[in-house]
Amino acid sequence: MTTTQLTRAEAAPPRTVARAGRTVRHRQDHPAWFLVPALAVLLVFFFVPTIYNFVYAFTNWSSFHAAISFVGIDNFKDLFTNGSLLKDLRITLVYAVLVAIFQNLFGLVLALVLERDTMINRFARVAFFVPVVMSALAVGYIFQALLKPQGGLNEILGFFLRHDVEVAWLGSTTWTIVVVALIHAWKWMGLSMLIYLAGLKTISEDVLEASRLDGAGWWTTFREIRFPLLAPAITFNVATALLGSMNGFDIVQATTGGGPGGTTELLNIFIFRTFGQGLFAQATTMSLALFAMVAILAFPVIRILRKREAVL
Amino acid sequence: MRYVQPVVAIALVVLLLGVPFWLVVVTAGKSQSEALNPNLSTPSHWHLWDNFSTVFQEGHMTPAFFGSLLIMIPAVAGVLVLGAMASWVLARRKSRTIAFVYALAISGLVLPPAVVTIVLLLRQLGLAGTALGMIGVYMGMYMSTVIFFVTGFVRTIPLELEEAARVDGASPPRVFFRIILPLLGPTISTATILICLYIWNDVFYALFVIGGRIDTLPLNLYQVASAGLYLNNWHLIFAYIILMSLPLLVTFGLLQRRIISGVTSGAVK
Amino acid sequence: MKITRSAVAAVAVVGALALAGCSDPGASDAGNGQSTSDWPAQDTKLDGTTLTIWAAQNSNKTADSVIQGFEKLTGATVKVVTIPDPYEQGVQTKVATGDKPDLAFWQPTASELTALNATTNLQTLDGAPWLDNYTGNLKDITGLLDGKRYAALVTTPAVIGVYYNKEVFAKNGITSTPKSWDDLIALAKQLKTKGVTPFYEMGADKWATQWWVQAQLADAAKDGLWDKVNKNEEKFTDPTIQGAITTYKDLIDDGLFNTDIKTATFADQGDALLGGKAAMAMQVNSFFNELQASASTAELDKKIGFFPISPSGNVGTFIPDQSNALVAFKTGDSKREAAARQFLSYWLGDGYQDFVTAQSTVSLLKGVDTPSSVPQALKDVAASIGTSVGSMQALAVANPDLYLNLADMIQGTKTPVQVAKTTQDQFAQLAKAQGVAGF
Repeated sequence: MTTTQLTRAEAAPPRTVARAGRTVRHRQDHPAWFLVPALAVLLVFFFVPTIYNFVYAFTNWSSFHAAISFVGIDNFKDLFTNGSLLKDLRITLVYAVLVAIFQNLFGLVLALVLERDTMINRFARVAFFVPVVMSALAVGYIFQALLKPQGGLNEILGFFLRHDVEVAWLGSTTWTIVVVALIHAWKWMGLSMLIYLAGLKTISEDVLEASRLDGAGWWTTFREIRFPLLAPAITFNVATALLGSMNGFDIVQATTGGGPGGTTELLNIFIFRTFGQGLFAQATTMSLALFAMVAILAFPVIRILRKREAVL
Repeated sequence: MRYVQPVVAIALVVLLLGVPFWLVVVTAGKSQSEALNPNLSTPSHWHLWDNFSTVFQEGHMTPAFFGSLLIMIPAVAGVLVLGAMASWVLARRKSRTIAFVYALAISGLVLPPAVVTIVLLLRQLGLAGTALGMIGVYMGMYMSTVIFFVTGFVRTIPLELEEAARVDGASPPRVFFRIILPLLGPTISTATILICLYIWNDVFYALFVIGGRIDTLPLNLYQVASAGLYLNNWHLIFAYIILMSLPLLVTFGLLQRRIISGVTSGAVK
Repeated sequence: MKITRSAVAAVAVVGALALAGCSDPGASDAGNGQSTSDWPAQDTKLDGTTLTIWAAQNSNKTADSVIQGFEKLTGATVKVVTIPDPYEQGVQTKVATGDKPDLAFWQPTASELTALNATTNLQTLDGAPWLDNYTGNLKDITGLLDGKRYAALVTTPAVIGVYYNKEVFAKNGITSTPKSWDDLIALAKQLKTKGVTPFYEMGADKWATQWWVQAQLADAAKDGLWDKVNKNEEKFTDPTIQGAITTYKDLIDDGLFNTDIKTATFADQGDALLGGKAAMAMQVNSFFNELQASASTAELDKKIGFFPISPSGNVGTFIPDQSNALVAFKTGDSKREAAARQFLSYWLGDGYQDFVTAQSTVSLLKGVDTPSSVPQALKDVAASIGTSVGSMQALAVANPDLYLNLADMIQGTKTPVQVAKTTQDQFAQLAKAQGVAGF
């Protein structure tokens, strides 16, 4: 996807007739009122509630009393002295990075394997899209059942290894976060695959033909030509994977509920729990903290990927 | 090599997808006692159709299906049209204000919506618990996604096409609806599928905005999800999940060629 | 037309400011003056009235027999809406958005009633016609906040105690149940030497871990431990509570629990006790209800017994839970509010006999007999309420996530000292938010 190009030079003051030509025509041809309905919806159903929400972070809003008063930055002070916030931020970050890596890796591999338009490939593509369509709750239930100590995965492993396998895949305080990230990637890899398929198709045949004539093998073609040209697809997939995993929590909630021992407790899970205890203001303070983290981390990454797109 | 690739493809499908789906189908076919601890064994007697009919009735799936449709279709249509309209202007015009508005418009991708304040606002507007309110909430949530998708794509539509129409005397709305919107087909397909599946499966927001008043498929799962204290009736849960996912799967299966070619022909440039 | 940047900014600022100065938007104006509770007769006609009851996933079928009878008697329509787990969080969030049902299942303890902002949101149930029909001390031990009654108890409150497999005891020559904590531990060690798993804990499902700590605090609770904690005069990190937590950890480390404690679930616990794989489990009524789902009363009477335990004797700790009681909301519609009260009167009146029979549960009311289908263990539990003391949930002003911290301890990510500290911090935070003096 191409980026919005900012051209400062073209921002003309309204009454300058000299620049009449292009600017005025744009204003007539692409009227601002086209923006109004969308912006109105965004304002009413998104910005106002979100700002409201952030304002509450500076109050003592709770379920225990009806009156609300401002408390300044007390909530923020309390929050940062509480060790849980930093721990959950770290876990959320680890989870997001793992998801971004796995989802993209799997999606890319799938796209490369299923590139050609054969019957089997078409069927396989639809099949891999099924997890994308299923609800996160369903995915959570399924993997809870599969990954129990007496669950399906251990049954299969036991069958091949010829002795009982009782690994508690969702019970490790160190590795379960990786397992959950894998599950998240499993659900969404069909979508990454789709985007990469599209990206691969946009690579002009001429370039590929040329490289084939030069005698380049599959791997060289991929590394030198196709991978760089996939930059926009990579940007899109990494961005959505990062944003999706930092803001979402339903898969983790459904499989581990934040356990074992709080080692998969994403910040959103903690926020929901705090909200559920009636500490509404503290919960919104944490949402602000999460938003700050997302902004600080996601934007630079996306910016870097976008620049890379432009260069390549 | 030509034979390796299909084998690899099929092996991937079986391993990565076959096992989980097998678990779902097999558990959905069991009786409650057998399904207490879901595993990969086949049921002793297949109760698949019994379970389907049980969840269909207990979960009130017919009103739930129409409830989900009633909300999803207007929301998706609305957000696509309004979002595309805004994207068109944001893509064609250039100024600092426009850039600022664009940044604002896609900020929804980063910020998760605040459910409580949205419902409070709806209450003040008199829309709490109504389908219209839910549609508005979903539109607000996904507007940024649409704008993000479409803005980049609009730039690939040559300005000359618009010019030609304008020379013929078409007004901006006419230009938009006659020329631009049809050409946005591919990217709109991608956005449609994405937003449809978010809305179809959403439990969280639906619970707080319309929970208890309007039935939707994901919400009604909880009517059947528990048999007794802390016991889950997995056989009914998985049966429900199969039925719930069918509509989207069927749609995707039928339209997949269009969707993939749609995505292929330029959603990612 | 051009969009001015300042216009956009102005709108945003004005919007934010305009909304900033409001009081809790969720609190309805119906918060004032409930008409003195007049209690309509149970059979008053209510055609055309619809009542909504919120229930959790594990209590959404509890009211079925009552609803059937009530609808037939009065012509009203009663709808049960299931709020997904975690139940309390879902209900509190919905109430925060201004959404209220007519009735809801709710934990009748002071801390949970406060969490629902009872004074603003709930009807008082003082003066109800069925109050004096409660047996024993049930009327006074729960459902109250600051002297006013907000919750109606419908089933016998859960009690923390030890469920044991009678056959395992008999097979290992144990003829009497322990009479004190020390007895219990000695018994456990004895069993261990014989190769039996003494205790079974569900570390993966977490919520039962707190019973071990609470049972040890029974004596202190009787002496006013929680009053002191409520005034910040005693903390979780002080010896009494800290000691209980550390003892629990020591018992686990001494090998008195199942080896798969970290991954064991509630279902596993039920299987283990019923199947004799373990001798004892410290649990509450819902554990027994799980056993009832897979075994008959006859089998349960033969295999499972119950005894409460405390440091110095057999005193149980009662902990009413969400499925034990209902609250009635102030919805602002006086007709529906009266109908809700009428429903409760029916439940704890003419409809009660059918209810206990359908639910196979102990009767709380004088004049209604407990059905014979109720297993002995459950009757023993109900009988222990008379001498029991309140749990943290019942007596403390706030409800910190003790069980979560204990579960972390079992998994190895927190030490006993950290458990106490984290719980104390949470408690203090909640108490402060409530405006309790001393925090």
